[in-house]
Amino acid sequence: MNANEAATLRATVKEKAAATKTITSDFIQYKHLDFLSDDIKSTGKLAFMAPEKVKWEYTTPFAYSVIFKNEKLFVNDDGNKSAMDLSSNKLFKQLNRLITASISGDMFLSEEFDISYFKVDGKNRVHFIPKDSQFATFIKAFHITFSKSGEVTQVKMIEPSDDYTKITFSNRIENQAIPDAVFNQ
Amino acid sequence: MRFLISSLILLLVGCGSYPTKMGFTEADSIALTVTNPYFSDTNTDYVYKAKIKVFNNDLGGILIIKKTAPAAHRIVFTTELGNTIFDFSIIDNEFKVNRVLKEMDRKILLNILEKDFKSLLHEQAEITKNYTNGHSTISAATIYGKPHFYTFKETQLERITRVGGQKEKVVFLFSEISNNIAKHIQINHKNLRLQIELKAFE
Repeated sequence: MNANEAATLRATVKEKAAATKTITSDFIQYKHLDFLSDDIKSTGKLAFMAPEKVKWEYTTPFAYSVIFKNEKLFVNDDGNKSAMDLSSNKLFKQLNRLITASISGDMFLSEEFDISYFKVDGKNRVHFIPKDSQFATFIKAFHITFSKSGEVTQVKMIEPSDDYTKITFSNRIENQAIPDAVFNQ
Repeated sequence: MRFLISSLILLLVGCGSYPTKMGFTEADSIALTVTNPYFSDTNTDYVYKAKIKVFNNDLGGILIIKKTAPAAHRIVFTTELGNTIFDFSIIDNEFKVNRVLKEMDRKILLNILEKDFKSLLHEQAEITKNYTNGHSTISAATIYGKPHFYTFKETQLERITRVGGQKEKVVFLFSEISNNIAKHIQINHKNLRLQIELKAFE
């Protein structure tokens, strides 16, 4: 992708993110570990409300939900509920912010990432390499794929071992009211 | 005198081996080795949803186990969102930490996990003694220098018990078994407030 195309993509994504107040979407997650015969597949639903409420609800093969809200993480593990304060945990706080940012796509933060732009099979793909060395021991890179209109269609989180988690989104609905109760545990 | 005799009986029972304490008696057997078949297939990805209760904290994640060679297993634990918490190998009984989250990189914790995974994954061991109570059999074996007791109902391995000083230290319970896969595994520590429940992905 040339510099002009990259600038256009950045502008489209920023505009899209600013106009997006809520998102609901289905997702399929693939955990790839090199030594396994098959990727581990799980599916669920995502709910996002700007600026920072996120709920990942896994439905298969297990019931599990995690809500990021007010710098706290609320887990419901098949009925077992727990909460964690993220404000004291730099790593989780950073991860939370990146997860939120990667849903809307607006993570073009050049002070935090080395960013490079690609066109792969006609799709726009952006690689984000964390600059923070401690964070880089956890996640080596984010690869985010965008649709033409600037929606995130796939997030790939690559670990230092090159194993990765790939999440693809479908049935995305924007700016439809989401009841507050969705973000209650 | 009566007191002395009952004390003596108590003492003898108290000093008995773990199976005799459980009401088992020694039995003859032609089997020389005991086999744990639950992680023995190199073509199977063993993937479990894990719930860990440690002291009063609940921790969840995905436990992934793969037999990578005749005497080698890889063990990876990730969050539900896919981030690796730890990544270990056991090769010829040698435990190797490939990766561990900084927050979990504590020797005492890694020692517990090493022992538990060695007990859970060890495939074949030489039997030192057999016991029976008429319904079940127990085979005694020593793995990585620690006494272990394998409880079978008919030919199905239902339980592995790691024992120290003739007392249960850790119990591994296998249930919902089909095609040599234990779909439910419960690991209970008896002298630590640590319980691990594993449910196989369908």
